[in-house]
Amino acid sequence: MNSTASLRGATVVLGDRAVIRDLDLDLMPGVTVIRGPNASGKTTLLRAIAGLVPFARGERDVPVPTLFLGQRAQLLRGLSARDNLRFLAAFRGASPDRVGPALAAWGISARDASRPVETLSAGQRRRAALARLDVERCDLVLLDEPFGELDDQAATALAQKIRILAGERRTIVIATHGHPELDPSANRVVRLG
Amino acid sequence: MSLRRIGLVARREVRAERGQPDGLVSAVTFVAVLILVESLAVGPLAASRPAVAGALFWIAMAFAAILATSRSFERELEDDALDAVLALPGGRDAIYAGKALALTALIGLVAIVGGALSLLLLSLDVALPGHLVLVTIAGVLGLPPVIVLFVVLALRLRSRGALVPILALPVLVPQLVAATNGTAAAASGDAAGAIAWAGLLVAFALVYSVLGLTIVPAALE
Repeated sequence: MNSTASLRGATVVLGDRAVIRDLDLDLMPGVTVIRGPNASGKTTLLRAIAGLVPFARGERDVPVPTLFLGQRAQLLRGLSARDNLRFLAAFRGASPDRVGPALAAWGISARDASRPVETLSAGQRRRAALARLDVERCDLVLLDEPFGELDDQAATALAQKIRILAGERRTIVIATHGHPELDPSANRVVRLG
Repeated sequence: MSLRRIGLVARREVRAERGQPDGLVSAVTFVAVLILVESLAVGPLAASRPAVAGALFWIAMAFAAILATSRSFERELEDDALDAVLALPGGRDAIYAGKALALTALIGLVAIVGGALSLLLLSLDVALPGHLVLVTIAGVLGLPPVIVLFVVLALRLRSRGALVPILALPVLVPQLVAATNGTAAAASGDAAGAIAWAGLLVAFALVYSVLGLTIVPAALE
């Protein structure tokens, strides 16, 4: 099976510490769970795959559209959730018309979607960020602790969404130190540290 | 580099500033207070001399521009919003040009308020108002390319608040000299001088824009 993305001999140094050292990783369609204790480099690995962290050594081959959702919602304050997502969709060349239905599907009402994001709760901001999955529809999805700040209903919806994306032959990489229920259905579990 | 993406970033910046106008408000307040304090410090007679008035105005504008630009990037860092843009294809290129474009408009607004206050508080007689507007526009164009560049270079540093003025102001000295002389020339009726200084300011803006577009994508990595 062809890999969606790969790392070869990846070494990432932050400060004076090699957080990731000589890592080879092939990411295949389906779900890959990255596990490891705190400070084992899970977030750094996702950021490296997303191209947000430079390699000290090694190569990164990510030829497909990639969506990186970090531990924070990545929404610009002063703008509404709708305007944030419309900007990101337009920038990527996706249809901004998907934004309204996507936000509604993640439980963000039209009224909340038009409020400045700083007036939303952390859980609402997280759900608004997850709506990018439906708007940008990337082949490679990188999720860093995606269940943080979600209530049970939203967490269930996310687990279902991950299954749907995997069924569509997309590649989903989830970095987490919890949620062991993900492992049995994952195609691969990578342990760091 | 895509003009469409630059436009999208600029529009996003303007909308965010409209929704949370702390950058504009703090820059306008700062420029007004600084011009007032400066004019009191040097005295009304000295402050009304074109060269002194021009220098007071442009020093205040440089600090206000640093303040507004820093605030704009603080907002980007608050919820890791910048990561969402940088992870997009073409995001690194667009963020510099888009921010510089939007901040030029914002600093232009600050210049209108600061300019009006300067004329009022410093009792400045302007012989060539049209030329003064031209020099002001050219001076405003020259600030964001330099300041956005240094704010980006210092972005991941904890002491960026102190470092950006220290790094940017020495580089801005030629622009401040040109803008001050251009302002003085326009105020005292030297049309050729005002146009020459305005041309130099536009040249500075172009040089630093090219430099920023070259350096910033790598710096953001």
